[in-house]
Amino acid sequence: MKAGKYICVVALISAAFVLVLEGQENPVAGNPAAVQEGASLFRANCSPCHGLNAQGGGRGPDLTAGRWVHGSSDADIFRTITRGVPGTEMPANGFEDSETWAILAYLRSLAPAKSATVAGDSTKGEKIFWGSGGCSTCHMVQGRGGVLGPDLSHVGEARSVPYLIDSIREPSKELTSGMLDPNNHYGLPLVYDTVTVVTADGHKIVGVAKNEDTFSIQLLDTDQRLRFFLKKNLKEVTHERKSLMPAYSETMLKPAELQDLVAYLEGLRDK
Amino acid sequence: MTHSLKQMALVLALVVCGAVVLPAQVTYQRLLNADHEPENWLTYSGRYNGWRYSSLDQINTGNASRLTMQWTFQVADLGQFETTPLVVDGVLYGTGQNDRAFAVDARTGRPIWRYQRNLPDKLQPCCGMVNRGFAILGNKLFMATLDGHVIALDTRTGNLVWDAKAADSTAAYTFTVAPLIVKNEVIVGISGGEYGVRGFIDAYDADTGQRRWRFETVPGPGQPGHETWSGDSWKTGGAPAWITGSYDAELNLVYWPTGNPSPSDYGGERAGDNLYSNSMLALDADTGKLKWYFQFTPHDLYDYDATQVPVLLDADWEGRPRKLLVQANRNGFLYVLDRTDGRFLKAAAFGQVTWAKGIGADGRPVLNTDLKPNPAGNRVCPGALGLTNWYSPSYNPDTRLLYVATSNECDIFTSAPQPYRVGHDFLGSVYVPDPVIRPTGALKALDPFSGAEKWSFPYFSNPNGGALSTAGGLVFAGESDGNFIALDARTGKDLWSIQLGAAIYSTAITYRLDGKQYVVIPAGAALFAFTIAQIAQP
Repeated sequence: MKAGKYICVVALISAAFVLVLEGQENPVAGNPAAVQEGASLFRANCSPCHGLNAQGGGRGPDLTAGRWVHGSSDADIFRTITRGVPGTEMPANGFEDSETWAILAYLRSLAPAKSATVAGDSTKGEKIFWGSGGCSTCHMVQGRGGVLGPDLSHVGEARSVPYLIDSIREPSKELTSGMLDPNNHYGLPLVYDTVTVVTADGHKIVGVAKNEDTFSIQLLDTDQRLRFFLKKNLKEVTHERKSLMPAYSETMLKPAELQDLVAYLEGLRDK
Repeated sequence: MTHSLKQMALVLALVVCGAVVLPAQVTYQRLLNADHEPENWLTYSGRYNGWRYSSLDQINTGNASRLTMQWTFQVADLGQFETTPLVVDGVLYGTGQNDRAFAVDARTGRPIWRYQRNLPDKLQPCCGMVNRGFAILGNKLFMATLDGHVIALDTRTGNLVWDAKAADSTAAYTFTVAPLIVKNEVIVGISGGEYGVRGFIDAYDADTGQRRWRFETVPGPGQPGHETWSGDSWKTGGAPAWITGSYDAELNLVYWPTGNPSPSDYGGERAGDNLYSNSMLALDADTGKLKWYFQFTPHDLYDYDATQVPVLLDADWEGRPRKLLVQANRNGFLYVLDRTDGRFLKAAAFGQVTWAKGIGADGRPVLNTDLKPNPAGNRVCPGALGLTNWYSPSYNPDTRLLYVATSNECDIFTSAPQPYRVGHDFLGSVYVPDPVIRPTGALKALDPFSGAEKWSFPYFSNPNGGALSTAGGLVFAGESDGNFIALDARTGKDLWSIQLGAAIYSTAITYRLDGKQYVVIPAGAALFAFTIAQIAQP
């Protein structure tokens, strides 16, 4: 059946006791057989979220950038894989220790992807974010800003530089996921697409869906107000696969300004 | 006074005092005639024919809008709640996540006993620590457990009566299925198609737990069908049997469907049709001998388990009465077979299908060879979760329609060789949902013989719950966003719904107690029971 594999929520948490000590190193680091096994395990278990080549998918970050948000030592990554990351979609996994080490060997074997160098000035980027760029109208950082788009307080940890650039220049290229229903093991999260509802009296309201089901929709409209509707009272609900965020062309945001903005975003981290 | 005399005296005293009426034993005869006692729900599908239909009509199209919650029972565990409860003479019996089980007063939801299997730390069920329900016979309940055992519990206490080990759970053999009772046998099928098990269907003596027969769904050397596996691939061939079959007492045949060959998405090392994966098996109920088989998806590369409940219908086919078997298959086609000999009669797609161009006159799919999984990935419909899946369909003899929950999802299938290791994933790569088009679903009413769609009720998300239909002209269905819905069986109009707060992974049942019809559905970690608030008494 395999139905649950792509959601990776086979939460065998009880089996995920971490027996690895701080400072312990991968016993199979660089071992070609382990790398091969790890690639196979990764493909079957991790690629649905992190992408087939570990360069990031819609739901999980790029693992080839040499950046490890939740600790970069072998023991740290071992822990991240086995225990998951509370508060994120990264679940605990029931791999045997040897399998976890094999996955780690595979991940370490991936040369860092060619990432755009961040030559910009993050101080300038910060000014763009909070001023001329208008980013903070819709995005929040550390409790300040708008709420229509995703909170970017830790975006530097979760997203690679190419992804950040794409998100600014072509925000509709890959839509960010919203809330995932933990009860719906085979379901997919909603994405930040553009939703338009038309009320019985013909009034159009545009926004993003915080949630939706067969009978109702919970919308955050472009005025950043929560609006709840029963579908039976609506004329129409349409989803367009595009982001509400404007695409920042080179005339709106010059290449140097883009670099500055990315430098700022890239530096938004927990630590 | 002898023991039996004492018992008789006790029974007499209780009956005279009017204190209780002891529940009658659930005999095989009662199971055979389950349609004569719609006040109970005696088997997984309600009847041996797999209809999941009830002749109760107190809740009907005229009053469904007044459905009200009567009681709730909390299982208190996490994960998918996939049980189909049984109801016998006022007691509801169910299984839960992590091999929990319980009996509750079907009038109030108050528990009578609880049971939990002591499971080993490491188990490998592909898709959650789930169980789909009990079977009942006499005063025993039968449960197939995640650690590969079949057990019997006492209906009155939940005490363990016998425990039979069927398979080795360290090699990822697990049970999730609700057993089927035939005569004095407890029939079960194994899970583990994602781990390279070699599938089987077993029958156990209901009194003692001794195994009566085993049918191995991947033939060994010298057995017919063995030639459909290249090399040693049969040893890890999968073909699990994780959904409860149906039974025709007149033919004495058990119809039991099987699942995917292993590894599911890579066929390079298992050349051939891979019998009896993704098949319907007709087994002699007494011996387990194969009477006939029909394979829906030979040499499957898309995880299209045929583990959907077979629906047995007697109808005229091309001018003469015939015993038919209908299955809405995960691969996207609805099949009609002659259930006496397995002859293929018809197949029709009941949704978007791209992996095959159609089904030939011989019943074999005409493949769309461009869409084989490859390392880069190919977009194929239906996705690996199928156009439908294990959740129950329902056949309603009043409307003569088959109600099928369907999923509108296409996946990107990739493929790569994977070495087999005991007790480990054996998938041959992975599928991912189409990243652009969000999966949706629908409950569809189909003509069971042509596959023609009579109506379709759209779901926002792809479902994991099936359908119950009743003589009240209703279809009850639960969807993945937590809505439990009553629809008009003839039109598909939604007459009532309630949000239960968690995805529904099972299918409703119904029963009658004290003159009141109940409908019960599991959702999240609870059972919810509904009735009509005020019924006019005759």
